[in-house]
Amino acid sequence: MSSSSALPSSAVYLSQITQNDNFEGETFHKFFDCWLAEQNKHLDDLFAAESSSSSKQNSNNNNNNIEDQDLKPLIDRVISHYEHYYEAKSMWAKQDVLAILSPSWMSSLEEAFLWIGGWRPTMAFHLLYSKSGLQFEARLRELMEGFRVCDLGDLSASQLTQLDRLQRKTIREEREITEMMARQQESVADASMVELSHAVSEMMRRKEGGREREKEREMEERVEETLGMKKVGLEEILKKADDLRVKTLKGIVGVLTPKQGIHFLIAAAELHLRLHEWGKKKDARKETMTRKTSSTPMLYNIAFIGDSLEKK
Amino acid sequence: MDGPDCIFLFNPSTSYQLYVSDLARDGDGQPARDEVWPPGVAQKSVSSNLVISEMAGICCGVVGEGETPTPMEPSRPSRRRRLDLLPLKYIADMAVPPPETGAKRQKLDLCTSSPTQPRDCVNAVENCEPSGVKNEEENNIEPKGDAILQSTISLLNSTATTAHGNNTNEAINECPKYGVTSVCGRRRDMEDAVSVHPSFCQEKGENHKEFHYFGVFDGHGCSHVATICKDRLHEIVKEKVGGSREDLEWKSTMEQSFARMDEEVQNWSQTNQSSTCRCELQTPHCDAVGSTAVVTVVTPDKIIVSNCGDSRAVLCRNGVAIPLSSDHKPDRPDELLRVQAAGGRVIYWDGPRVLGVLAMSRAIGDNYLKPYVISEPEVTVTDRTDDDECLILASDGLWDVVSNDTACGVVRMCLKVQNPPSPPGSPGTDMAVCSAADGSDKACSDASILLTKLALARHSTDNVSVVVVDLRREKEKQESNSNDDDDSNNNIIE
Repeated sequence: MSSSSALPSSAVYLSQITQNDNFEGETFHKFFDCWLAEQNKHLDDLFAAESSSSSKQNSNNNNNNIEDQDLKPLIDRVISHYEHYYEAKSMWAKQDVLAILSPSWMSSLEEAFLWIGGWRPTMAFHLLYSKSGLQFEARLRELMEGFRVCDLGDLSASQLTQLDRLQRKTIREEREITEMMARQQESVADASMVELSHAVSEMMRRKEGGREREKEREMEERVEETLGMKKVGLEEILKKADDLRVKTLKGIVGVLTPKQGIHFLIAAAELHLRLHEWGKKKDARKETMTRKTSSTPMLYNIAFIGDSLEKK
Repeated sequence: MDGPDCIFLFNPSTSYQLYVSDLARDGDGQPARDEVWPPGVAQKSVSSNLVISEMAGICCGVVGEGETPTPMEPSRPSRRRRLDLLPLKYIADMAVPPPETGAKRQKLDLCTSSPTQPRDCVNAVENCEPSGVKNEEENNIEPKGDAILQSTISLLNSTATTAHGNNTNEAINECPKYGVTSVCGRRRDMEDAVSVHPSFCQEKGENHKEFHYFGVFDGHGCSHVATICKDRLHEIVKEKVGGSREDLEWKSTMEQSFARMDEEVQNWSQTNQSSTCRCELQTPHCDAVGSTAVVTVVTPDKIIVSNCGDSRAVLCRNGVAIPLSSDHKPDRPDELLRVQAAGGRVIYWDGPRVLGVLAMSRAIGDNYLKPYVISEPEVTVTDRTDDDECLILASDGLWDVVSNDTACGVVRMCLKVQNPPSPPGSPGTDMAVCSAADGSDKACSDASILLTKLALARHSTDNVSVVVVDLRREKEKQESNSNDDDDSNNNIIE
């Protein structure tokens, strides 16, 4: 991300926002961009740490423990960066949970894969298994011969056990939250909402005749109050979902050795950043196409779009 | 089919809008999703032409055309399922290809030159308590063993581990070393169960002390049938083995055991009301639930494999992979004929399926598919030889992506490299950090882990369960160790 230098740090930005009490969807968008730039930077750091540790490993096999201690602070930093994101997110959610649940800062590609305003916690295990699988196949021969290769291909028996246990627990918790969300969504049509929507409709019909200012204001208050309760419910569920995301991330990294943790965090950041970029690119392309479609004659336009896509 | 008929769109800025989608889209007014079975292949009905064209050239014979022969009173879901078959009826007349699984199905009654007995390998299972970790779902793996030299018989009950094995000990009881791994993998439900019971018949007398039981169960529909099999089948087998002599009739013993197991499953599903499994919501009597079962009893001179379904047991003998069971797939020629003879049909619906539903032709449970799907196992009795290296039992989560030969190659390599196994209590690199460390046989555990990881690496989308049993005689191990190729031994970094 070339624009990273121009962005303030997400922490600095967050403190500004907190002072001005300016929590809106738009401002979270800015926070997100800062955070993303930092994630990009962290990815560089992780990658550098990974390459230096693997080159050292080749030359000297006894230094594993010292190495691990060196990697720990970096891992902690990256993890707390994630935590920082979710802390900020929950602050914003308290002000405007609807904006957080329909995020404008994500591409439509990312949005299509959202689970309650973020990534699906169990996805983390698939990420792990996929990355582990790739590294495993690359080193199969060595692994069979009993070498330690120290990356995700070399998950030990106990690690696999713990990860499997964590995965099943996460699936269970994710299901519970999904159920909660289902109940919350169904409650859109609960008695209070149906009654209120009918009352407001009645009022609008009567409005044709004469004005009822007093009544109108009262209705507005009731609508606000009822929707407010729904929002509180959503906010609670979002909090649970985000907590599970952080817990899963920390849980997985906790099972892994520092070196493996670095590999996992690299894979997570790479997937997140690239997915975001691909989505943004797609969205941008779609936007230019719509703009062109609306400004040029139809027949000509189709040929033109095809042409311009080809060039890209 | 997966969407609701009504969609509420919540739009906070304006008002609430209710959209009613086309309720009559099925023509007959039936909501489409009622006719979808199995759930995962719902979309297929849209492109049934495509399905059929894919099937061309693959066997799919059907008897009793024009009629659905079901002696049983169909439950509501099964009636629905049968409805599904209708649109595909015209697949019926397909050629039956020549049997291609023949090689796989060879009976293995190879005679041994000299089954050495007693074996030198002495080990027993020592108690190991996995540090009190509890997890209800991990109950699916439950190796048990007895150290008979100890004054009290201690049960090894490591419910919280996915990987372990027995450890060696200076005891008179001998059990082959083993390793077990069972993971959820890329599925959202864990329906595999593994059961390991060394010396499971020991109270039955001296003769049966050296019978060791290993089983892998891969459930479908829900996990409860697999779980019951894990909990019960070894006890049933023990009962059936009884106090009979060494040369007991294994085939009928195992067949009776499986029949009994199936009965118990039926009784369970008819009576059990307190179940908490997910299937409870779907059908009143959990009829649409079953499990594969591949069970091995290893005796000092024989390997008895009983199989029902598409899990598999493979023996590695002198570097060659020999399947000791043959998967019960609905398109296996003899199974196809059997299903048809019983009045059933095999229909391609995301692969060959009995009545278009179940992708295997035998299973424990699955009441609603009887008598087409049966619980009778195929039993092979194989004499052990000095060339036997290992036995691998696994669910299709492994076999779908790893060939028999590859699996044997991986296990052989592990056993060879890590030979001899470290004495109990010695700090292996892994075991030092293993919370559930039970001094298990590291080589076997590593082999089972390695196979599991290979399956995951090859994108297995199912649960993966693997049991590896080391069948080498102790004498031979030392021998092979001493003249092992030097390079592989030099490479070990521990």
